[in-house]
Amino acid sequence: MTRLSVQAVTKRFGGVTATGDVSFDVPEKGVTAVIGPNGAGKTTLFSLVSGFLTPDQGRILFDGEDIVGMRPDRLAARGLVRTFQLVQLFPDLTTLDNVKVGQHLQTRSGLLAAVLRPGSTRREEAAVSARARELLALVGLLDVADQPAKVLSYGQQRLLEVARALAAGPRLVLLDEPAAGLDAAESKRLAAVIRTIADQGVTVLLIEHDMSLVMNVADRVVVLDFGRKIAEGAPAEVRAHPAVIAAYLGGVEIADG
Amino acid sequence: MADPTYIAQVLVSGLGTGCIYGLIGIGFCVIYNASGIVNFAQGAFVMLGGMLTQLLLMRYGVPLLPAAAVAIVVVAAMGMLLERLVVRPLWDRNATMFVMILATLAAQIVVERATLLAVGDQPRTLPVFTDVPPLMLGRVAISVQLLWILGASALVIAALTAFFRYTLAGKAMRACSIDREAAALQGIPVKRMLALSFALSAALGATAGILITPTQYTAFNVGVPFAISGFIAAIVGGFGRPLGAFLGGLLLGLVQAGAIAALGSGLKNVAALSMLLVFLFLRPGGILGAAK
Amino acid sequence: MKTLRSTTSPDWRSALRLLPWGLSALFVGYGFVAGGYPATVIGFALVYAVFVTGLNLFMGYTNQVSFGQNAFAAVGGYMSAVLTTTYQWPVVPAMGAGVAAAVLLALVIGYPTLRLKGHYLAMGTLAIGLITYEIAVEWQSVTQGYLGISGIPPLGVGSYEVTSDRGQLALLVAIVLASTFISARIRDSRMGRAFLALGASENGAMALGVDVARTKLLAFLVSAAFAALAGCLFVHVVGYVSPEVFGLHMVILGFTMLYVGGVGSVAGPLVGALIVSLMPEVFRGFKDYQDLAYGAALIVILIYAPRGLASLFDRAKARPRSADL
Repeated sequence: MTRLSVQAVTKRFGGVTATGDVSFDVPEKGVTAVIGPNGAGKTTLFSLVSGFLTPDQGRILFDGEDIVGMRPDRLAARGLVRTFQLVQLFPDLTTLDNVKVGQHLQTRSGLLAAVLRPGSTRREEAAVSARARELLALVGLLDVADQPAKVLSYGQQRLLEVARALAAGPRLVLLDEPAAGLDAAESKRLAAVIRTIADQGVTVLLIEHDMSLVMNVADRVVVLDFGRKIAEGAPAEVRAHPAVIAAYLGGVEIADG
Repeated sequence: MADPTYIAQVLVSGLGTGCIYGLIGIGFCVIYNASGIVNFAQGAFVMLGGMLTQLLLMRYGVPLLPAAAVAIVVVAAMGMLLERLVVRPLWDRNATMFVMILATLAAQIVVERATLLAVGDQPRTLPVFTDVPPLMLGRVAISVQLLWILGASALVIAALTAFFRYTLAGKAMRACSIDREAAALQGIPVKRMLALSFALSAALGATAGILITPTQYTAFNVGVPFAISGFIAAIVGGFGRPLGAFLGGLLLGLVQAGAIAALGSGLKNVAALSMLLVFLFLRPGGILGAAK
Repeated sequence: MKTLRSTTSPDWRSALRLLPWGLSALFVGYGFVAGGYPATVIGFALVYAVFVTGLNLFMGYTNQVSFGQNAFAAVGGYMSAVLTTTYQWPVVPAMGAGVAAAVLLALVIGYPTLRLKGHYLAMGTLAIGLITYEIAVEWQSVTQGYLGISGIPPLGVGSYEVTSDRGQLALLVAIVLASTFISARIRDSRMGRAFLALGASENGAMALGVDVARTKLLAFLVSAAFAALAGCLFVHVVGYVSPEVFGLHMVILGFTMLYVGGVGSVAGPLVGALIVSLMPEVFRGFKDYQDLAYGAALIVILIYAPRGLASLFDRAKARPRSADL
């Protein structure tokens, strides 16, 4: 089964083609990674898939349904949840409350229930708390649950964003460079988390710069360059692909060197 | 009602106030372009211009033109003071747009109340600049004050155009409006531009206030309605386009004159405010499209 | 990282968190003991506390801009005033109708207005407040223009009217406590978290399925209801209403109180309203300079203590659970 199908999607800003006629499929199972050098159009692609941008051309199918033009919150309600490259946490809320916001769609209580707090709302709140703690334990942030998100280290904030996205109960989660800024231990934790998510049946699509993470966790890799797909396949195949070596891997070594 | 002379007369008077709104609207644009700030204290300059001229003239017997000139310079200085005391500290602290708006609105109130304490709440007016009978265009009377307004507005716009086109400071301000960071990298003193834009904008407001006072009146609390009208002019013309703002002002003046003729002067402000909401809801980019 | 459980350690930090409440209790207690004029001043402060609680919900929680809350206070206040005087309605249903009318108005104008951003939203809401003011002046057949409406009955239920200073104060205390309680409960709930989330990052909230437009509108409606309630309380406590009550003065005063007390905190509106209302009483001759001083104070706070007095408490505590109760 195909979870997500990107079909001939094009997005231009002024005269610049950010994403040009890109097509690829994301299978229901496993972890798919989109890689490419900076400016390859990865983040634009994510914004198109998650409804923050609308493509000029092409179709995007999520579980067989065309989702072009749908608002991000509607997509989240359908089970498509993203994280951001520049973290979009709620800095003054506690770590725990950040994850609780992630469960917005899982819960129903309105304003009246907030004020009157009937039994059903109290039970819902208790369940929300328990689930939030579970997710924080998964990403290793339980001991900072009561700290405001803004005091967390950058790596912790990235992990929190992942936990928060999972709280929304996605069928497909889009992770935008989740390993950026993580230290080695955090990066390892993240890889384990991503594997766990995938094993629980959630489809993972990630954009990543960190090739070691991609090679470790991805089942399939899509390579973009200048807004076009230049290769697609298993990590080992892609790594050996001449166009990829030319366009990307070489460039990264120079850039990182 | 449908008397063409009457309608023409109404439109002529709308043209005069329209010019004033246009000048105030340009004042909004000048600051906005230089800094991205919307100065909600703009009306204070308008009020102060008229008020200071009136005081100099009536209390100290300064002749009109020197009094107006002094008032414009003083108000420009006050614009810089506002920038220094209120805007710059917030700017340096990266205050949000909302905080900046609230602070300038508070500054408006402070100026208003200080004026009330200093000169009381009596409405004051200025004599017309030249006391000659109105020109008759057919049966439509055109007051000489209107000619002063039209002439001064044309002069101001010509001067501004020359300033932005030919002077170094003007070019620097235009550069700021296109891309502030790039301008800063090019060595343009962005903060000095901010101060200059407040001075310029205050001078524009004061000029507008002086021109309109003979046909209406001034009091401590006329600032906010004028500011709103100027803001409407700026929005109608596409925020950040000085010429658009002037045209927007003319349009607003005509619409408002029409509303007064049809509904009575009590609903003058309601008519202007409703026009603002219509534009905000339906065409926030204005007639010409926003500059950015 | 170590966890701080402030609830189990009754140290000076949690004591500091109670300071705003203690301060408020002290002021209100003084009003009770003194009665008369001090009770009236504290009563006004409490009415404003309700208004600012609504402002805080919309601005402090969802981080949106409204310079037009006076519109809802005016609609609520005038509706209740007209219904009780011209139409002889009892007070409670009239106030209910006033609040309902204001919420309805908020619904109608909120839909197009809340789509605006930045200075457009600021000016749009300001315009709504000013239009309401102008209408209150011009619609003389109903509002009697600048003259105002007098002889508005005091608060009370049925034939029981609260007329004494102390009785009125007690009633207002109860209403303020209820408002603050509602505000606190909302803050710590699913919808409250959605308010705070979209206030911090609209994109972040949207990505998690929060319907941003709807949630903003909801916060707007609640804040309008508080503003309208404050408007109703005002006219019945004073017994008189004129357009001046709901002018731009009310907007600046409300913001000053909100910023003095602390934006986004639960206790802020109450403390802010009390402190700002008492300022003119403490300083002799201050009255003439009231609005001037409020405006100047607001500017100074915006520059030097943008989170209000609450930020001073915050700096002292090492931020355990951020409920600024």
